[in-house]
Amino acid sequence: MYEANQIAFRTQGRTILDGISLQVTPGAFTAIVGPNGAGKSTLLKVMAHEHQPSQGTVSINGQDIDSYTPRELAHVRAVLPQSTTVQFTFTVEQVVALGRHGRRALPAEDRSVCEAVMTVTGTLAFRNRQYQTLSGGEKQRVQLARVLAQVWDETVYPRYILLDEPTSSLDIAQQQYIFHLARTVCRRNIGVMAIVHDLNQAVQYADALYFLRDGQVVANGPATEVFTKSNIEETFRCRVNLYRDPVTGQPYIIPASDPAERFIAVGK
Amino acid sequence: MNAAVTLRDFRTTVVLAGLGASLLVATIFSLTIGAVSIPAGDVVVILLQKLGLFQSTAVDEMHTVVLSSIRIPRIVMTMLIGGALGVSGAALQGLFRNPLVEPSLIGVSGGSAAAVVVLIVFGGPLSIYLAAWVYDSLLPIVAFAGGLSATFLVLRLSSELGRTNVAVLILTGVALNALAEAVIGLAIFYADDNQLRTFTFWTLGDLGGATWQKLGFAAPFLIGSTGALLFFARSLNALALGEAEAYHIGVDVERTKKLIILFAALAVGVSVSLSGMIGFIGLVVPHVIRLSFQADNRLVLPASVLGGALLLVLADVIARTVVSPSELPIGVVTALIGAPFFVALLLNAKKRHEL
Repeated sequence: MYEANQIAFRTQGRTILDGISLQVTPGAFTAIVGPNGAGKSTLLKVMAHEHQPSQGTVSINGQDIDSYTPRELAHVRAVLPQSTTVQFTFTVEQVVALGRHGRRALPAEDRSVCEAVMTVTGTLAFRNRQYQTLSGGEKQRVQLARVLAQVWDETVYPRYILLDEPTSSLDIAQQQYIFHLARTVCRRNIGVMAIVHDLNQAVQYADALYFLRDGQVVANGPATEVFTKSNIEETFRCRVNLYRDPVTGQPYIIPASDPAERFIAVGK
Repeated sequence: MNAAVTLRDFRTTVVLAGLGASLLVATIFSLTIGAVSIPAGDVVVILLQKLGLFQSTAVDEMHTVVLSSIRIPRIVMTMLIGGALGVSGAALQGLFRNPLVEPSLIGVSGGSAAAVVVLIVFGGPLSIYLAAWVYDSLLPIVAFAGGLSATFLVLRLSSELGRTNVAVLILTGVALNALAEAVIGLAIFYADDNQLRTFTFWTLGDLGGATWQKLGFAAPFLIGSTGALLFFARSLNALALGEAEAYHIGVDVERTKKLIILFAALAVGVSVSLSGMIGFIGLVVPHVIRLSFQADNRLVLPASVLGGALLLVLADVIARTVVSPSELPIGVVTALIGAPFFVALLLNAKKRHEL
């Protein structure tokens, strides 16, 4: 279990996170949704141990995150940012192999892991190309391969992947590819936490959903249960209509089209 | 895959072996040249004798003396400085993720230069009170102290709560270098012709005056800091992704950052104190390696040591021969042979769309 417990984060007199508790379960896909400025990225940075929270604790597999060394932490959690630039000319294979940095594994083991993750991400075919020459979608798949290489080893303890809007600049096919893959790797005793921008994708792939607004959790629970018109409207302050796919029963939303109706007045 | 990776390791070995062999040839060639010309065969024999690997009395006694007391300490110092400058530049470029970085950016050269010019111009009265040898050894010590304290200041000013902000660090370095320039300008304003000449030559670099005694003091620092920087190759590869990403994959970024800056400052500070300012090597040698081979720091760092040493040894040969018996300032030569070569590489890379 990857747990945030009553996290508060304040900077320059502003409260970004205001008592957030959250759990990421191994083997499941947990999605975070919320409007811009809700504190989603800050929460991810606190969870990744990049930021120190003003209050509250984060623990991984029952152990406080502060007690992990950077290397030990790299063994249990990997992070995929929105986009990554690589300085100097590295090949795809070299970038993927960077994910193995924290492991003190045999070169042969590193190679077979890199080969496996390049296969599942479909990057094996261009492993000798320069990273800079790739398209946005290819780059993100290479970065996902790097992240997977970090936590691919089958260990007795669960591992976790944090994704920060991993598909924000990709076309729909690439978006589906990345989310589908993230969903698949959950089976390797990996817990996935992702910040997802597209609500329909969030409900399509997530097992658990957290709605965030103003640094607080508005609602959370199993995705299909909490994906309701009222939760979405309260979180995003935007009128939506909720439908169900007649074939699969999958819920989806379409924002209300009348501009006068779209914004809900904020009232207490 | 196995084959591909093994091939890459093999290529790394070949590149390093090739650079090492070139350095050896350049070194022997350099040792033959000077006021007394010594045949390459004698050079090899004398070197082997010194290393205790070969017994022979068939060489000229004077050649042995010239080599062991003048040329060998000089070439050892040249190689150590070239290697230290090359690897410092490579490590700092990797750390700051910026191809334009050179060692002067962290304030070390500016700090040294300002301290030295102040000593040269205003330190005159000290020579009355201090013994001659103390006064003479003051210049390298002052250069070293000035360089290292400037780097500490830059590091201190750009750190908050144990975190070093790279953007602030670079800008602080720029500010400190501007301040150093002002101090230098002010000192030059008060300098007489002789002091001006001494300082100008110091800024152009000088490899003459190497002795075993100086080396005995400086070599452990140069070898230590150069060797220490080589251990950061894998962390620097990770840092190519960015600081946050490097932390995510298990690099202790803050510790790595401080150690690299300190070792680079030590390497450059000691070099500057021995030979004055030798520009260009720290900036260009790592690029030449990256453009010619690849960007993996497990190759770039050791190859920058060998490449920096090679460039400085060759530059020294030219500096000592073209205006013999006088000598050209070494800094002039490194730029003269390095710049056109670098531009040629850049044009080639541009043509192949690698930049």
